[in-house]
Amino acid sequence: MSKKKKKKQQQKKEQVKTDAEAPETADEAEVSAVDAQTEKELLATNIVRAKGVEKIFTMGDEQVRALKGVDFRVQRGEYVAIMGPSGSGKSTLFNMIGGLDKPNAGKVFIDEVDIAALSTFELAWLRCHKIGYIFQTFNLIPVATALDNVMLPMLFADVPQSEAQDKAVELLKKVGLGERVLHKPIQMSGGQQQRVAVARALANDPAIVLADEPTGNLDSVTGKQIIELLREINDTEGVTVISATHDYKMLSVSDRIAWLTDGIIEKYVARDELDIQEGHTDVRK
Amino acid sequence: MAEMEQIIILPYSKIVQIGWRGLRIRLVKTFLVTCCIALALAFLTYILCSGGMLAGIAERASAELRQSLAREGLLEKMLSPEQKSQTSWMLTIALMISFVGIVNAMLISVTERFREIGTMKCLGGLDSFIVKLYLIESLFQGIVGTILGIVVGTVLAYVEGMRMFGGEAWTLLPFAQFLKIILGTLFAGVVLTVLGALYPAWRAAKMEPVDAMRTEV
Repeated sequence: MSKKKKKKQQQKKEQVKTDAEAPETADEAEVSAVDAQTEKELLATNIVRAKGVEKIFTMGDEQVRALKGVDFRVQRGEYVAIMGPSGSGKSTLFNMIGGLDKPNAGKVFIDEVDIAALSTFELAWLRCHKIGYIFQTFNLIPVATALDNVMLPMLFADVPQSEAQDKAVELLKKVGLGERVLHKPIQMSGGQQQRVAVARALANDPAIVLADEPTGNLDSVTGKQIIELLREINDTEGVTVISATHDYKMLSVSDRIAWLTDGIIEKYVARDELDIQEGHTDVRK
Repeated sequence: MAEMEQIIILPYSKIVQIGWRGLRIRLVKTFLVTCCIALALAFLTYILCSGGMLAGIAERASAELRQSLAREGLLEKMLSPEQKSQTSWMLTIALMISFVGIVNAMLISVTERFREIGTMKCLGGLDSFIVKLYLIESLFQGIVGTILGIVVGTVLAYVEGMRMFGGEAWTLLPFAQFLKIILGTLFAGVVLTVLGALYPAWRAAKMEPVDAMRTEV
């Protein structure tokens, strides 16, 4: 118990440290020096950083504020779950982080690069090389085989055909679909389709895998397998995994959980603290 | 600050390859859409050719043909102003059918692939890649469908012409005019097909990936 508390305190300290912005009252020179310093530190630790992200959807005459100024940081190699009830803005935040949609206010940094400042070609490169996406609805190309689906991102990355094919087969074997390389999505179960999506997400060796409700359309056993697969990738390849979910099975594998309620991050919970604070949820494991 | 690289632009040869594969794996769908294009243009070609033949009676029909047509009471009818207005009315309908049929078929076949377009954008596909891919796919379908339609329409028009006018069906419509009909139809068919596909593809390509994926058909 004492060990956990200690860790908790340490984490809080870290949180304070990273949250500290350059002091406004200091001299300008000092500020820029501090800025340079913090930028270096940020780059070393943060792979994803969202600052004051707001998103407003207009539905008819009504305006819905899906995100109300979200600050969010993810460190390199972390496994983070964004949790919250449906309608809390999880998917919206997911889309913002992934550069799939534009925020109305605030900024998103990937590797400390403001993605709003990227050109079309840079943004496409980011989506192709840096981020792997996994969706609730799998979003595979329905008419293409598993192999072709996994090869698609490599096509955009201009990987030579034979090399791409070898790698796709290897990735499909890794997710346990070595026997189903030439099957089409329609010939596969939901779990298998999601495995193809995982393999596709890994095609260009991304630094980040973003998963939006990856278990949302799966039964609990298959869902657990996908979660474990993601955890394994995080452990072995050091890929940062960020997952928007309301699946409690995700809690036990995540390093950190961000609780999102009504468009703001209510709190962060580290896994160690989870047993104490959210002990009751573990029953559902 | 970390550097972002730029995605490479795929060459046309590669996009042609991808488009061709896409058409092949969607064989049934490709076939149906191409048939739809062909059918609309077959009707247009048929109307244009048989209209041309009818118009040719006044100038080019031989005395025997005129006599035999007059015996059956057809000559007067064929040369009447009502017949002319009927022909132009049919032509208007044929043009409308071609326009609505082709554009509609292409719009639907592209719109139902919006999610796919969104997914491609997520995986690093450029807007221009998507537009080019659909340009090539629709160009191919347009050319094949139009040629097929022209062949079917021409054959039907001449079969009907032979039945009505015998061997003279071949001379009633001068070759230059026939060529004009074919080239005009080819142009209209291909342009309509490409525009019908390109407009929704361009719209989807311009969307943020989430919006494209969210679009329900």
